[in-house]
Amino acid sequence: MRLARILLVGVGALAILLGAWVMFDTVKPKSIWGLLTWLIAAVILHDGIISPIVVGISVGMRRVGRTIPAGVLAIVQAGVLVGCVFTLIVVPEIIRKAKIPKNYTVLPFDYGTRLGLLWIAVAVLTALVVVVYLRTRRRTPAAVTRFADN
Amino acid sequence: MVRFNMRELMYGLRRSMTSPNRNARTAVVLGRLLGLAFTICLFTGLYSHFLQEPASWMHFPTQPVSLYKWTQGVHITAGIACFPLLFGKLYAVFPQLFQWPPIKTPVQILERASIALFVAASLVQIFTGLLNTFQYYPWPFPFKQVHYALAYVIIGSLAVHIGIKLPIIARYWRKKDSYDEDGTFLVGESDYVPPSKHRVAREKLATYVVSKDELEDPALVIPAEVSAASVTSRPPKGIVGRIFDWIDRTPDVDVKTSRRGFFGAIGVTTGAVMALTAGQSFKPLDRLNVFAPRKLAYGPNGLPINRTAAAAQVLETAMDPGWQLVVSKGSAIRTFSIADLMAMPQYEAALPIACVEGWSQLAHWKGPRLHDVVGAVGATDSEQLKITSLEKKGGYRVTLMGSEYVHDPNTLVALHLNGERLTIDHGYPARMIAPGRPGVLQTKWLSHLEIVT
Repeated sequence: MRLARILLVGVGALAILLGAWVMFDTVKPKSIWGLLTWLIAAVILHDGIISPIVVGISVGMRRVGRTIPAGVLAIVQAGVLVGCVFTLIVVPEIIRKAKIPKNYTVLPFDYGTRLGLLWIAVAVLTALVVVVYLRTRRRTPAAVTRFADN
Repeated sequence: MVRFNMRELMYGLRRSMTSPNRNARTAVVLGRLLGLAFTICLFTGLYSHFLQEPASWMHFPTQPVSLYKWTQGVHITAGIACFPLLFGKLYAVFPQLFQWPPIKTPVQILERASIALFVAASLVQIFTGLLNTFQYYPWPFPFKQVHYALAYVIIGSLAVHIGIKLPIIARYWRKKDSYDEDGTFLVGESDYVPPSKHRVAREKLATYVVSKDELEDPALVIPAEVSAASVTSRPPKGIVGRIFDWIDRTPDVDVKTSRRGFFGAIGVTTGAVMALTAGQSFKPLDRLNVFAPRKLAYGPNGLPINRTAAAAQVLETAMDPGWQLVVSKGSAIRTFSIADLMAMPQYEAALPIACVEGWSQLAHWKGPRLHDVVGAVGATDSEQLKITSLEKKGGYRVTLMGSEYVHDPNTLVALHLNGERLTIDHGYPARMIAPGRPGVLQTKWLSHLEIVT
C-alpha cells in the first residue's frame, strides 16, 4: 500500500503541474487571476454559505420534527434535494434564455415554467411516497417500536 | 485554555452536524462513483480535445461514424451526474473541515491544500461546463483552455487525494466492515468526537432510578457522582454554549432509515438529472428531454444549429450566385460551381452532427465524396486537407482534416440535408460532413480546400 500511495501522490502531483503548465501556456495572467477568484468563491460559497444552511435546516427539521417519523423526514428531505439540484442546474438556463441566446435552437423550452412544474411533481410524488410509506409501516409492527424510540 | 476551548468549539460544531451519513463509508461509496464519472469525463474530454487539436502523429477512427456522438454525449451526461454525486460527497466529509488543531503534521498542510484545490476546481469545472452547454460564459476567463487545463489539475488532485486517503478507503471499502449489526458506523479513533459532558451527565442521571418512597426517606444519600452529574447537566452559559446545547438535545435519527433516505435521494437525483437532459444526445430519451438546452429535430432542416449565418457574417458571400469552391494542391487549382458539384456522382450518408456542447443528432446528407473532389487536383491518400470557410472570423474558420477523414467514403461535400437543399444556417451552398468528428469541425459555407503535406 505504501508504494501505491507514493505512486498516486507522485503521479497526481505531476498531473497538477502539467495542468498548471498548460494553464500558464494558454491563458493570459489576467484571466488566471479571474479563474482564481472563481475558485476561491466556489469554496467560500460551498463551505461558508450553502453547507452551514444545510446543517441549520437538518438540525431544525430534527428538532421541530421530533414527532414526525424519521422515514417521513428522510423522504421529504429527498424531495427537497431533487428540487434543489434541478433548480441549480436550470436557473442558469433561465438567466441565459432571458439574455437572448445566439439562435433559436439554443434553449428552446420555457425553462421557468418547466422548473415550476418539476417542483409540483416532486411535491406530489413526495406526498405519495409518504402515504405509501406510512401505510406499509402501520402493517409492520417491528418498525413502529423502532420509530417510537425517537 | 484557549486551545481547550477551540477544541471544544470544533467538537461542538462537529456534533451539531452529526448524521448517520456524514462518515467515511459514505465518502467511499460516493467517491467511487464520482471517481468513475471524473475518469469518464477525462478520457472522453481528452478524445474531444485531441480531435480538435491533434498532434501531427495522431490518427482517429472513422468507424463507427457515431463514435464522437457517443463519447461527447457520455461526457456531458456524466458531467451532469457529477452535480448530485459531488454535493453528496462534500456533504459526507463536511465535518472534516472542523478539526483542532487544524493541522497536526506538515504533511497535512499539503493534504488540506490539495483537497481545497480539488474541491474548488471540481465545482468550477462542472458548473462552467454545464453553462458551456448553452453557450453562457459569465466569467472572466476563456472556457476552452481553462476547462482543458483544469482537467489535469482535477485528475491530479484526485490521484493525490486517493493516495493520501488510501488506508481509509481500504478500511471502509466493504459495507460489512463499516457498520455494526445495528447499522451504526464504526468510527475510526482519529475521527471520534466524544459526547459533550452535558450529554454524558444527562445519560448518567437517566440511569439513576429512585422510587418515590426512597425519595421521602430522610436517610437517602444521593451518591456524589449523581449530584455532580446533576450540576454538569445544567445548560451552559453564553450564547454559543446554549446554541450547542440546544442542538445537542436534538433527537438522534434512526441510522438505517436515514441512510436509506440519503442514498435513495442521491440515486433518484442522479438518475433524474441524467434522464431529463440526456435526450439531447440520445434519441430514445428524447421524450424525457425536459431540461436539456437542445431539442432533437428542432431547427432548420430538422436539425439544431450552433453558429448562424448571420453570426458568421456570411449572409452575402454564401448567397453570391458566382460562388465557387476552390480546390488546390500546390500550383494545381480547380474551381467548382454549385452546378459542377451537383453534376458529380452523388452519395448519401447517415452521419451525426455531434457538438462539443453535448447535443447530437443523426442526419441524412447527400453530395459528392470529398475523395472525388480533391482527386481532381491529384490528392493522394496520405495528405491532409486545409479547409477554409467563408466566415469572416472565428476559431474554426480555417481547420485541418486528417487524411483518414479526407478519403473516407462517408466524407461528403454535402449539398443536401434531410432530403432538402442545405439551408443557409446549415452551411449553404456546401459544407463538410465527415464521420466521427466534432460539429465545429464540420465546416459550413465552404470556400477553399487545400491539400497540404
